[in-house]
Amino acid sequence: MLTTPRLVAIALCAALNFAIGNIVYLIKLPIYLDSIGTILCALLIFPDRLAAIVCAFIAGFISAILTGLVLNPFLPWFSLTVLSIAAVSALLTARATYTFRMRPLPVVPFAGKVLLYGLITGVVSAVVSAPVVVYLFGGVTGSGSTFVVALFLKTGQQLLDSVVLAGLATDPVDKIAEVLLAALLYRATPREFIAMMAPAKPSTA
Amino acid sequence: MTPNGAVAFALLVIVGAMIAHDLAGLLIILAATACFALASRRAIWSALAWSAGIVLPLALFMMVVWVGIVGRAPHEIAAGLEGSRSAATMHVAIICLRLFIIAFTVQAAFLHFAGWTPLRFVGALTLPRTAKKLLVLTLSLIDTILQAVDRARTALIGGGLITRQRSWRNLRHGWILVQTVWLTVITIVVGRTRDKWPVEETLARLEGTLAARVPGRLTAPDFGWIALAIAAGVAGLR
Amino acid sequence: MELIAGPNFSGRSAALMAQLRDHAPAFFIGPHAEAALSGLSSTVADEIEIYRAAISGREPFTPLDFATYAERKPATLSGGEQVLLALHCFSLSGYGVIGIDTALEQLDPGNRDRAIAYLSRGATQGISAIVADNRLDQPPGAAIPEPTGPAAEFACNLAAVARPPVCDPAIIKVQGLSFRYGGGRDIFRDASVTLEPGHAYRLTGVNGAGKTTFCKLLAGVLAPDAGTIELRGKPYAPWKEGNHAFAFATQNPDHQWCGATLGEDVARRRSVLERRGIDLPSDASLAALAACLGIRSMDQHLYELPLVARKRLSWLWPLSGVMPWAMLDEPTLGQDRVTREALADAIARLGAAGYGIVLITHDDEFAARIAHRPLKIADGLIA
Repeated sequence: MLTTPRLVAIALCAALNFAIGNIVYLIKLPIYLDSIGTILCALLIFPDRLAAIVCAFIAGFISAILTGLVLNPFLPWFSLTVLSIAAVSALLTARATYTFRMRPLPVVPFAGKVLLYGLITGVVSAVVSAPVVVYLFGGVTGSGSTFVVALFLKTGQQLLDSVVLAGLATDPVDKIAEVLLAALLYRATPREFIAMMAPAKPSTA
Repeated sequence: MTPNGAVAFALLVIVGAMIAHDLAGLLIILAATACFALASRRAIWSALAWSAGIVLPLALFMMVVWVGIVGRAPHEIAAGLEGSRSAATMHVAIICLRLFIIAFTVQAAFLHFAGWTPLRFVGALTLPRTAKKLLVLTLSLIDTILQAVDRARTALIGGGLITRQRSWRNLRHGWILVQTVWLTVITIVVGRTRDKWPVEETLARLEGTLAARVPGRLTAPDFGWIALAIAAGVAGLR
Repeated sequence: MELIAGPNFSGRSAALMAQLRDHAPAFFIGPHAEAALSGLSSTVADEIEIYRAAISGREPFTPLDFATYAERKPATLSGGEQVLLALHCFSLSGYGVIGIDTALEQLDPGNRDRAIAYLSRGATQGISAIVADNRLDQPPGAAIPEPTGPAAEFACNLAAVARPPVCDPAIIKVQGLSFRYGGGRDIFRDASVTLEPGHAYRLTGVNGAGKTTFCKLLAGVLAPDAGTIELRGKPYAPWKEGNHAFAFATQNPDHQWCGATLGEDVARRRSVLERRGIDLPSDASLAALAACLGIRSMDQHLYELPLVARKRLSWLWPLSGVMPWAMLDEPTLGQDRVTREALADAIARLGAAGYGIVLITHDDEFAARIAHRPLKIADGLIA
């Protein structure tokens, strides 16, 4: 399963996750994108679905650990979220790889699939992340969803419910953006690299 | 102190911080971490400042939400009580101190190995061979990507598409920067995977270099710090 | 030392790799800086450690004091420094064979001579070197391979490049320039120079002196710590207002694309530059220029081109006349003699049309074909 090119893809996508934060800082974007590499890894290794889940998860996990050591020490706690994103990407989003690479770009199908799979990824991510947000951060992570959480708490909702509802309101937007960027990067990737991701041929010796 | 010992200490302290349920318990754990940091014989101010820099913005958010807006602590909401702002403040303090301990512990572990190269550090960890290879590969690819970011900025600034300073133009062309970085790095990686690595058997050399660094057993200082972490955790639960 | 001779697209790279595979494991240094090093290390010290053999028994090649570089990230070294580091690693390793694909062309003359001398002594040290290099004379009587299929596909005809429109002269005055990279030594210290349009300036200096850094300062990629630049007598701060004076061809061509395909690259530049009042040639003109450089389709994926063809396409913007100054950083890397001579003539025609040219090249033969003024960068000054 873990051929040398796939190991390289894992490391590359992990490094991309890590470095995206730097890119975001340099061009002063107001959002934080931390799973593009995870989604992209799944797209690259598709159609080998199991390998895609495993490799995408490893990529996301490694980047979370390294980011945790250097930039954000709380990211490794969201490893289950990483696994869920890897699974959704490998099992669902990767079905759109043919559309993503079509030239010229079929705008409506492309946009539709990005929206659909981004939404699903966002919903799953919000639900899986909620317990960690509650237990580790007490519900407040300092992101834009914080005030949404406060609103629900003020109306008497329990903390976990508030965090889930706030996550459902904000995570899909972020994940749609991430699926879009991953799809565009996948589209631009040279054929030679994608061809390298095929499983190793069994030896005939 | 060995890397394995530092990782064990950090994990135990973090677990202890997660299960401690009051301020006093967390302060005991923080004291243990501070001792660990001081034992590195390096200035710990940058580690403290970095950790505070991570946690303070979160603390401000939490104060606004729990104390300012909600006005009571989560357990009071769960119990259906009217609650109080002082309980909310205590809740914020506990969460923030816990987060600070997590951040500071990681930085304190780094202090012990400040002079080590990544290869030396990873080689000294007790991990499967593939995991070590992946870690080393990822670290070096991070550098490759960061250099590619620099090169891509050169391309886009040289081409007049973006500027060094904050601007709407940069926002509009952010995607081009991401795409350019990705393509640059892919090209580098394809070249290495297709040409250099197979003919040199470079990855085998890396494995050999990592294997040559036999992970050390836990030493007496390691056991001492692990014992302190466990003791602090137990004291924090009292 | 064995030289693999031949023009571009004659299969030299493939022949070199085939020989290395026959002798595998063998050390390989590819054409660009990123292809020189292992890509597995985060520091220079680690890079050396990966390759160091327990017992080498051969004379180490140490053109630089790598102990002072130990903690630096390999990717932060200049192109030439990375090649020298790779050679140093080879000399400490147990590899018996080394293959070098045009990488020696990135070295300054002194280091290049040292490297060739070291590799030529290989037999006495039990190593053999197989080198592809466009500036080494082939041995007398050696068979010259014929160009293969891609030669026709990517055939380059620089003589057919249309003369750019006559340029509005743009004199550049640099005064009191100071710059250092964070935590590093001074690259420039109160340096001043005037660049007159219609002239070519050749930047010289050892590897790591600051030649590429100077180009980046002029293009606004870096901001000086102190000093000013004037363009046509008016203050010019490209790091704030954007670059609108220098069309920059980078040493590694992949460091200047703004899109995945040529069409995308052109469209993006056009949409931005024309909004800022900079006229670009028409798409048809640019397509014709690209065809002269060997690229016949605007849908060509830039990163799927052979390296030699990518390098040639990197001359597109400087030769298009879109900006009053052209900056070319080692433009002849990997190019055979015929192409280098044709490029020199094309650049000379650019200068005759009133454009200014800033050139970084270690290729003395190439530079000699262009009337130029030398600018030496050393000890923080430009003279």
